[in-house]
Amino acid sequence: MAQPFPYTYYSCDCYDSKVAPNPPKRASQPPPADDEDERTFDPRNARSNYSLYPLEHLLYCEDCQQIRCQRCVIEETLNWFCPSCLFEVPSSVIKSDGNRCTRNCYNCPVCTSPMTVNTLEDPTDPSSSGGPWILACPYCQWSTVEIGIEFEKHTGITSQLSRIANGGKTIPTAKERDKERERRKEIEMRKKDRDYFSGSEDSPSTDKDEGITPSHDDLFSNLSAFYKSQMASQTPSNPFSPHEINFSSPSSFSRIMNLYSSTTHKKQKREKPSPMREAASVHEGLNIHDPATDAAAIERIKRSGWSSTLSSSQKLAQPNPSIRFDSELRPVASLLQTKRGKRCRNCRHILSKPESKITSTRYKIKLLALNHIPRLSIRALSPIPLTTTQPVLYDYDRLRSGIPTHFLLHLSNPLFDPIRVTLATPSTTPGKIQSRVTILCPQFDVGANTDVWDDALSSTLSPIKKPTSIGPDGNPQTSIEAGKIWDRGRNWTSVVLEVVPGFLIQPLGSKEEEELEEDEDVLEIPIFVRLEFEADVNAEERGLGDSRGTEGKREKREEAFWTVVGVGRIVGN
Amino acid sequence: MSRPSARKAAPKGEYIETDSGNKVSRRSAITGTANITLGGRTVIMADVHLRGDLHPTRAVPSSSGKEVTPTSISIGRCTVISTGSVIKPPSRISRGQVHYYPMKIGDNVFVGPHCTISAISIASHVHIGDHTTIHPFVIIKENVKILPNTVIPANMVIPSGSVVGGRPARVVGEVGEGWGVSGGGAGVGGGLGVGGGGEKSWVEGGDLRELVRSIK
Ligand SMILES: [Zn+2]
Ligand SMILES: [Zn+2]
Ligand SMILES: [Zn+2]
Ligand SMILES: [Zn+2]
Repeated sequence: MAQPFPYTYYSCDCYDSKVAPNPPKRASQPPPADDEDERTFDPRNARSNYSLYPLEHLLYCEDCQQIRCQRCVIEETLNWFCPSCLFEVPSSVIKSDGNRCTRNCYNCPVCTSPMTVNTLEDPTDPSSSGGPWILACPYCQWSTVEIGIEFEKHTGITSQLSRIANGGKTIPTAKERDKERERRKEIEMRKKDRDYFSGSEDSPSTDKDEGITPSHDDLFSNLSAFYKSQMASQTPSNPFSPHEINFSSPSSFSRIMNLYSSTTHKKQKREKPSPMREAASVHEGLNIHDPATDAAAIERIKRSGWSSTLSSSQKLAQPNPSIRFDSELRPVASLLQTKRGKRCRNCRHILSKPESKITSTRYKIKLLALNHIPRLSIRALSPIPLTTTQPVLYDYDRLRSGIPTHFLLHLSNPLFDPIRVTLATPSTTPGKIQSRVTILCPQFDVGANTDVWDDALSSTLSPIKKPTSIGPDGNPQTSIEAGKIWDRGRNWTSVVLEVVPGFLIQPLGSKEEEELEEDEDVLEIPIFVRLEFEADVNAEERGLGDSRGTEGKREKREEAFWTVVGVGRIVGN
Repeated sequence: MSRPSARKAAPKGEYIETDSGNKVSRRSAITGTANITLGGRTVIMADVHLRGDLHPTRAVPSSSGKEVTPTSISIGRCTVISTGSVIKPPSRISRGQVHYYPMKIGDNVFVGPHCTISAISIASHVHIGDHTTIHPFVIIKENVKILPNTVIPANMVIPSGSVVGGRPARVVGEVGEGWGVSGGGAGVGGGLGVGGGGEKSWVEGGDLRELVRSIK
């Protein structure tokens, strides 16, 4: 998701480390000059897109002591609900009716906006029901009137819609379909017999009944009925089906016996099923391509133009994605959403679990990365002394090439222990536009996240924030010193980052003028963050605050991850 | 970034502060003040138009028999309405008459600059990007982020935890579990740089008290 500048993304290295099933190697501190550390994270690598997340999207597994992103968690669906009417849908209904709302929630097939049920009632001649009713789009004004559908009631739209075809004709129910199929079959059989006796030869394509092309639903129900009959003929009786248990049938009896006798079970392997016959006629679900429909479609485009055809996204949203014209559109039932819990893919511990009630926004468990790893942020260090009331807005979308610019890297510590931070960054950014980057003070300490009130009190005694035109040591801010931090507070420290934005146009002598691709003028700096701190061995209930006082042993811990800081967009000179 | 641009220093200060800490810009346009309630520590910036005059006209049954002033816009605590936004209660025409319905906006809601809002209800911890249009009777649940330049069609319901964008709006994602949580990093007087980074000492969807405090 695009964010305004400046932003910080955090990289989860789960792809590279492949989430090993054995305990993480973090306990045995790897040497700092490991080749893993030598490799610079490249935010422009196509794969990087999938490992970078804003901090608020990341979870943290306290057992693995690692960040967990969407790729290294397992999701568990707690419940399904309709985003439009906010009704919960039980999982049994999901299995039978699919993942769409079966109430009155529909989306516009043209523009995706949720539709409303409106009345077409003539105010001068009111009807008893207040109808007729239609589904209408409040955004693009499309309505079911355009496909010739009106409803008698304003509730139960789904069941009404399932019975009305475009144009207003009634769609047969499944039972009626079955009856009709049987009737056709019989007619065909009789016809065949007749043909056999009369000796005339007919091509099989003549069973286009009365010239009506069967609908998508007809074909589907025909095909599924055909397959069911084929399955049934394969297995004459199914011992597991409660309706079909027939103890008088020897085959089903022997099958039931097999369930209880393990000795014969292995020997009597089921015979290989013989291949099924293919559907051979329309009532078996065969759809023979008719060139006349193509001709008709072309004729229609000639007549009503491209505007009557559908875009691919409109088609894909339809229950029948092979339709072509706007007259075939159907309102799209709203897709359900889920509430999900998340587990660590490595150790299966629960990382987040929302309360299952749809209306609740609370979590029973929520282990956020932002409570475990420091928040890194950046902002321009304005050259103009600013007053606290009116900060001069720095235009991050207009970084000037070749002009050294100072930024403040701000690191705040959520842990209850002080941390030692080491930052590393490549001296030039990866990508075609090479900007020079220097962190003036790459190693520093950040205080512990003590009680907020400590800070409030101390800040009233001695304000941490000095006028910004003066540096932390009383010098005017023009003297930015290397190796010294810029400022610090209770649980935060800021250091200066010097950036010389690169040039958009390659200097003369480079092989060829390469075209810049999209967003190649964005200045993104990969920054490696490494923390060292001492924590209580059993600091699991961190966040409760008072684990510091316990007499538990302290252990040295280390944490390291890549971040990418989006500074802004380079515009040249 | 979210602060309004071009603010000239008004002689008496930009904002009038009420007893409950609401900050209302002298250059905002508020009509029907009696029909508007502000929860406290809420900011109404310059050129914001609150249409309190569009209030429900239907008789409100009252126990005492006294006439009750109908509420048309009620805004919660620590909510910020940025420059140039228009808040207009939704209306419906029935039997040839226009009826307005009261609008409710929750706590810690950030409305970006130049939005037009006619929702029936906006819950708490909602962040609305700039130049967004919200059509009548939209319901926005808690913890929602609306991207800039979105148009939300009438009557749409936006479930909590959604990220919404586009014209017409659709749910394009989910806010992370950490939405609105400033974490240990934020603190009173903690300097700059919570949030996506940059100049703000607050996070989208989080507690906006710091932002409200910084607006003067
Ligand atoms: Zn991951
Ligand atoms: Zn629904
Ligand atoms: Zn539409
Ligand atoms: Zn784990």
